[in-house]
Amino acid sequence: MTSKVETDARVRLNTTPAKITQEHDAWILHFPRFGEEGTHFHTYGLLTPYFKGLTEGRLMATRCVNRACPISKGTGELWLPPRADCPDCHQPMEWQEVRKPEGYIYAFTYVERGGTGLEVECPYYQIDVKIEGVGTIIKSYLLDRKPIRIGDRVRAVFRTGEDATHTCLDLAWELV
Amino acid sequence: MIQFQPGNLRVPKWTRPVYLVAAGTSDFRKRYPEKKLDELAMMAFRMLLEENDLKMDPLEVKGQINFACYGEFADHFQDQLLCEAKVHDYLGLDLLPNVGIKTGGATGGSTLLMGATTVASGMADCALVLGWERMDEVKTWTGNYYIASAACKDFETRLARNYASYYAPMARRFQEMYHVDERVRAEIAVKNRGYACHSPYAQQPGKHTVDEVLNGEIVSDPLRFLECCAMSVGSSAVLLCSEDLAFRLTDHPVRVYVAGGSHTLRTGDRRPMRILLLPNETEEGYRELYRDMEKHDGRWPGFESFGATRFAAYMAYHMAGVRNPIEDLDLVETHDAFTISDLQTYGDVGLTLYGKEQDYVTSGDCYLKNPRTGKPGKCPSNLSGGLLGTMHAVGATGIFQAGEVFWQLQGKYDKFHGAPKLWERYGKKKPSDWQSLQVKDPRRGLAISHAGVGSHVVCTVLERAW
Repeated sequence: MTSKVETDARVRLNTTPAKITQEHDAWILHFPRFGEEGTHFHTYGLLTPYFKGLTEGRLMATRCVNRACPISKGTGELWLPPRADCPDCHQPMEWQEVRKPEGYIYAFTYVERGGTGLEVECPYYQIDVKIEGVGTIIKSYLLDRKPIRIGDRVRAVFRTGEDATHTCLDLAWELV
Repeated sequence: MIQFQPGNLRVPKWTRPVYLVAAGTSDFRKRYPEKKLDELAMMAFRMLLEENDLKMDPLEVKGQINFACYGEFADHFQDQLLCEAKVHDYLGLDLLPNVGIKTGGATGGSTLLMGATTVASGMADCALVLGWERMDEVKTWTGNYYIASAACKDFETRLARNYASYYAPMARRFQEMYHVDERVRAEIAVKNRGYACHSPYAQQPGKHTVDEVLNGEIVSDPLRFLECCAMSVGSSAVLLCSEDLAFRLTDHPVRVYVAGGSHTLRTGDRRPMRILLLPNETEEGYRELYRDMEKHDGRWPGFESFGATRFAAYMAYHMAGVRNPIEDLDLVETHDAFTISDLQTYGDVGLTLYGKEQDYVTSGDCYLKNPRTGKPGKCPSNLSGGLLGTMHAVGATGIFQAGEVFWQLQGKYDKFHGAPKLWERYGKKKPSDWQSLQVKDPRRGLAISHAGVGSHVVCTVLERAW
């Protein structure tokens, strides 16, 4: 399972882009678990702008703007992963692009092996990224393989257009 | 929620007390082709009815049962929906009602929680709580794929498909924040796998060394192979009942108090909160920790701790009147699926302060015999061998832990671990260097059943009732 990969080689995916269809405004991810007939059709629902955004090179987050919200008071931090509705006041949140998608490594692991179906080429760093202005910490992966430390700065890299997988793997990070 | 409102912290108030009177289990193996799942459940049920010195005949005991709660983690593994109906029928309990309960790794604990509420409410007078998992129908790495379905499928599952990789970042962060020596985590693996050597039920007992653990293969940095539990097959059961029935069944019943808590499926979604204080803690005691958190962009519970465990412990301690865990508890079973989860839990359940977890382990108080002082440890943990050494047939785990604490409180560790015939039952020979891990005269124990990266946690306080 553990492959000997040069540490200067960038992490690659060994997957083919998942098929997407659209119903109303929602993207439906096709996951052919048991071949064509056994496909799962998984909707991204109201989070479609996030996954669509990645394929266009944009990091989209949500924010509670309800002034009556007991926690955000209408000026909440961004949510990444986004969620459509605020858990504190239950009102719909607003979308906002993270203009400068940079952050630092809050936690990490070097994944030496993964379960059946893993689409990221091992070994690789799975990283948790803290972004300024974002209240949550998003889990993702790093394209670099050289030694890292908590606190290292990273910037977002997107898989767009033909390269897009239409999954969370369309967001990756590289060391600044 | 990140701020509690008045109703949120209400301590559960059961209508009547609940007692545990009997426990049973199968042994545990990585593969168990000799028996079908319902046959393993029968092993646990039979032991529960026949070997707990109850004052009624086994079939008379069975005749007291009014309700059954069944724990199974993943339909993926069993590849059988409504497994509960098959097991229930196989145990000969039709037409009694039963329900299946599922909360990931905490399934066993949640099943106990639900079983206890049926007795506490009066719906049942005698409830069977039984759980199982059969993880050997698929190869280990497909098993890991299934288990990683318990990470968020939209944002996290594709980032590892291996659950150790969701614990490893917590280990990394914990290590950085609290300056933890890796040898402390390795020591936990050595201890628990070592205790498993004395259990006839154990699937991976071993006499390891700290160096051996640290030099082992890495699963997900920094977690080594020996720091992770394994796929497991088996079944465990306990019997709960009302006070009146408890004393008719045994002179040595154990009272139980069970409470749960929950937190996000994704670790990074845990927004900062004030620490929910246990009766033995103060805001002042955490002033320095909050200052450190500010310096390191830390947060509570964050990646270092489990809010759900703290919440469950807060409730269970208030129910049971536990004021100071290290003084009031005589043993504990933690959910050591990974060494790091064992380490993290000591702060959550208040056996030590947050931030002092590694000092707690190195103090030796988590051992039966403190290796630093040669005296008894204050609150030995995972004498059963834990998940690392003995079992993690997930739906059974929380129930197995409760059963082990129950036998300890009854003073029956030797009966259920030391009888040569018991070892033979599972095709093993009792080791010549077998030792009794019976805690001396214990009064209260604790069992922690834990799911996901802390998504559901059930905390059970067990107390000698005679």
